[in-house]
Amino acid sequence: MKPPPFSYAAPPTIAEAVGLLAEHADAEPRVLAGGQSLIPLMNFRLAEPSHLIDLRNVAELSGIRLDGDVLVIGAMTRQSQIEQAPEVAIAAPLLAEATGLVGHTPIRNSGTIGGSLAHADPAAELPAVALALDADLVAAGPGGTRTIPAAEFLRGPFSTALAADEILTEIRLPRRAGGYAFVEFARTHGNFAIVAVAALVELDGDRISRAALALTGVAPTAIRATAAEDVLTGAVPDDATIAAAADAAVSGVRPAGDLHASAQTRIELARSHVRRAVTLALHRAQDQR
Amino acid sequence: MTTIDRPAPPPARTHKRDRRWVGQSVRRVEDPKFLRGRGGYLADLVTPGMLHAAVLRSPHPHARIVSIDTAAAAALDGVHAVITGAQAAELTDPLPDFGPDPANHVWRCLAVDTVRYVGEGVAVVVADSRYLAEDALELIQVEYESLPPIVDPQAALEPGAPLVHEPLGTNCAYERSFDFGDVERDFAEADLVVRDRLRWHRSGGQPLETVGAIADFDHGSGQLTVHTNSLSFTSYLFMAAASLRIPANRLDVRQVPAGGSFGSKLFVTKPLVLAGMCSRMVGRPVVFLEDRVDNIANCDHHGSDRVYDVELAVMRDGTLRGLAIDVIDDYGAYIQFGVGHHGNALAQVVGPYTIGSVRYRVRAALTNKNQQGAYRGFGSEVNNWMLEQMVDKAARELGMDPVEIRRRNFIRDFPYFIPTGNVYDSGDYDAVLDQTLRLGRYDHWRTEQKRLREQEGRYIGIGLITCAERSVFSATEFWFWFDEPGAPVTSMPESVTLTVDATGGITATLYSCAFWGNSPETMVAQLVAEEFDCDPHDVSVAYQGSRNGLPATGPGGSRTTVMLAGAVEGATAKIKAKARRAAAHLLEADPDDLEWADGGYQVRGVPDRRKSLGDIAIALHLFKHGFPEDIESGLEESKVFDHPYTTMPSADRKDLGVFYPFVGHACHIPVVEVDIESGAVRFLAYAAVHDCGTLVNPRSLAGHILGGVAQGIGTALYEEYVYDDDGQLLSSSYMDYLIPSAMEVPELAIGHVETPSPYTPHGIKGGGEGGRMMAPAAVNAAVNDALAPLGVRLTELPMTPERIRAALRTPR
Repeated sequence: MKPPPFSYAAPPTIAEAVGLLAEHADAEPRVLAGGQSLIPLMNFRLAEPSHLIDLRNVAELSGIRLDGDVLVIGAMTRQSQIEQAPEVAIAAPLLAEATGLVGHTPIRNSGTIGGSLAHADPAAELPAVALALDADLVAAGPGGTRTIPAAEFLRGPFSTALAADEILTEIRLPRRAGGYAFVEFARTHGNFAIVAVAALVELDGDRISRAALALTGVAPTAIRATAAEDVLTGAVPDDATIAAAADAAVSGVRPAGDLHASAQTRIELARSHVRRAVTLALHRAQDQR
Repeated sequence: MTTIDRPAPPPARTHKRDRRWVGQSVRRVEDPKFLRGRGGYLADLVTPGMLHAAVLRSPHPHARIVSIDTAAAAALDGVHAVITGAQAAELTDPLPDFGPDPANHVWRCLAVDTVRYVGEGVAVVVADSRYLAEDALELIQVEYESLPPIVDPQAALEPGAPLVHEPLGTNCAYERSFDFGDVERDFAEADLVVRDRLRWHRSGGQPLETVGAIADFDHGSGQLTVHTNSLSFTSYLFMAAASLRIPANRLDVRQVPAGGSFGSKLFVTKPLVLAGMCSRMVGRPVVFLEDRVDNIANCDHHGSDRVYDVELAVMRDGTLRGLAIDVIDDYGAYIQFGVGHHGNALAQVVGPYTIGSVRYRVRAALTNKNQQGAYRGFGSEVNNWMLEQMVDKAARELGMDPVEIRRRNFIRDFPYFIPTGNVYDSGDYDAVLDQTLRLGRYDHWRTEQKRLREQEGRYIGIGLITCAERSVFSATEFWFWFDEPGAPVTSMPESVTLTVDATGGITATLYSCAFWGNSPETMVAQLVAEEFDCDPHDVSVAYQGSRNGLPATGPGGSRTTVMLAGAVEGATAKIKAKARRAAAHLLEADPDDLEWADGGYQVRGVPDRRKSLGDIAIALHLFKHGFPEDIESGLEESKVFDHPYTTMPSADRKDLGVFYPFVGHACHIPVVEVDIESGAVRFLAYAAVHDCGTLVNPRSLAGHILGGVAQGIGTALYEEYVYDDDGQLLSSSYMDYLIPSAMEVPELAIGHVETPSPYTPHGIKGGGEGGRMMAPAAVNAAVNDALAPLGVRLTELPMTPERIRAALRTPR
């Protein structure tokens, strides 16, 4: 379990990192963030980049700030920082809750939000959060920067809209009112989710005025459960409505089964965890009033 | 009924009262070095200049090797040698194999012309670094011709199944049915026969440091020195020398702490032989240290993998009469220890119950998987689980309470011969049960269970199991399977040398494993301190390698502490006999008038006429003329301690003799909650009470219980080597082979009962495997108790969420 030879650079700026990507374009370069996925893949020789561009020295890629009603997080911000940041607790508690479920503390001390999103593991927690919050992802390339909505960013398992010469630099999360919940089912603490659900609900009086739901574990990427959102939006929430939303969330999904959960079990888990997530989010929304 | 003539047990010992050190939770003497990172694990011994070996592994479960092209690998800068399986077969002989008919399923350090499981080695590269060695592996071109794999053990036994070993002509490596006692009568007279099919899937020990060896062959002397973290069955290492075709007196195997074994490093010779072969070829030290993928796929120590069809004959009042077991065990592609795992089961097949007869049919299936080896319990933990499942099912069918059915059948007269012929030396099962019911707040949880079910719709389960824990095996369990065994060995000794230096300081020299997590140094230090009235932390412990070492067997079958205690006791007696004589001279007294007191000899009744051990030692070391001519200088004695109580099996094998006589006992009560929507299981409480005879170090034993329970929880809920229908190993890393962490393992309430063995020093019994021998049974019982209102029982381990959900979809 040792990687094959590779060259390595740790440039201090985004511009230099982007330049190195172009310079080594023929050597299958890879961008190294926290290394919690890429390094094991290299040790297994499942990934064999000839050139590694480590972003650890790019100071401008780390940081958490509020820009009006948008929470802006640098791509290299470590997950443990996000978990503990007061700005995140206030502006995107859904992200804080989900981040606490990523691996274990030592993993989160190295792992970054940008690394997780760009790696696009179909079982990862953070893509579902980005989807549920309608995050914007900012990428830098040779031609400057562009903004990619989360819904367009996730293309498939380990596949994103990032071009080969682009680096993910920033995640912009609009602040949402109402209640939130991130619940997941994993075989052991800190393990990848079998199924995870991100839920946001806003109440207007007794009625749900807005709902956002994203699921991990039932499709090749995290997905928005728009049919379930439609069931909830405008409804006075009760057990039947929530159950109907859970049914809607899984109608039509065709998850692949694996060693840990068959397709049928994944659907059952998604249904029960949508119910749990919506119920918890509603409780929190009601508590806020 | 057949009567069996049995040799009388050895005379019961009188144990010393008022022990000072045995029984104390002293700090482990090993801890300071390990906590400082100075333990000296194998990876710590790798030095610059050493060459590194890496093994190319088969991606196929079953294939013929058509050709191997190593030219590109050999040409890579920094590569010193590339050895294929065919070349290795010219350099080495097959590996030591205790299985039946080894000539027809030949096992070598690398596959020669056929690979038989995913991960089997086909070539080894020696290079300047492990990185380079792995680069070279990618340059080796192997052409395989796929053969049909056989994965399912029952299908493997069907006629026409693809053969794992053609020369054997079958995939059934062993089959036999034994009757112990009057099985026919017990079943004919039974009011009820409880039947079930049970499935235990394979898991294995997961050491922090994998298996490795550093070999240094000296062409000048012909001497091979190997540092390896497997050094059990020390007395049998001549077999590894034979594999390497070197004289046994030219092989010196040196102890390295195991870094975790749990059985999985029991007599592992493959890395030793690989590294030795490579070092001899290149003339330099070579390290081969498995990486995690090597270890998971190719450690030769996967655990039991059994399909049971069981019948339990019971009476309406709950009396258990007879047990009929038909078990298929999936051994994988080789069968290095034969069916010794079932010998373990037969040692305590009836558990703590007065079951009068047993039928045991065992079939060992060969399949395209990594082979079985040892894993904490060695097959007896599987029997415990099977039996407790059957007892619980009987209780359910009879409408009896699980506590009551157990009490009704407890063995209470000791020594007690179970139907297989093994003896249980002592025990007090009621005391253990009573304490566990209190510690585990059994009545409280029964009330809570009802309340939470009715008021909150929650499914709480309370498991209760009472299990035996055999300790200190006899080698007979490896061969009594055969009427004409090839090697009916009976020696399983352990040795200690005690050296008293001129200052009275004591060094204990051990001859088998350095450290398997079983704290042999602490045990010996406490035992020596007990004998000599010194502080255990003042005892120095040394190790002697295999070449000029005394006979030793090493850890396995929870034998170490008992056997070391016997060796320390024997060596102490010799030391004290010489010291008494010397003291008598120094004190000008009659030796018979002296008594040992407080670390020295004194004239009985005259405490100021005394010589401390230090006084005696310096005289013996330096003042030869102060003693009679026949008293030799120095003060050093050794004891080779043989198993204190074993007997031979009967010729007809209706009685297997005494082969595992020091039998502990435990009761576990876990309380779980099952999330019936997800199939997740979490613990609300867990109580465990063990009786391992006289305790040497209660905290150390509690560590064994806790660690073993953690592993048992893994076996019950998480851990499984999953091979798919095509023979691919799906759980080939810790991404998919799930180990419970501190987050999954509950805090344990641990209790001890002490029923001394009448046959061992101080009355000690082994306790190294206990937690894992009980927890799988206990957790399964708890889950079944939780799901009882739904009419669901789980009969397959591990109880993954998938299996729990599947069972809930189809209530039985």
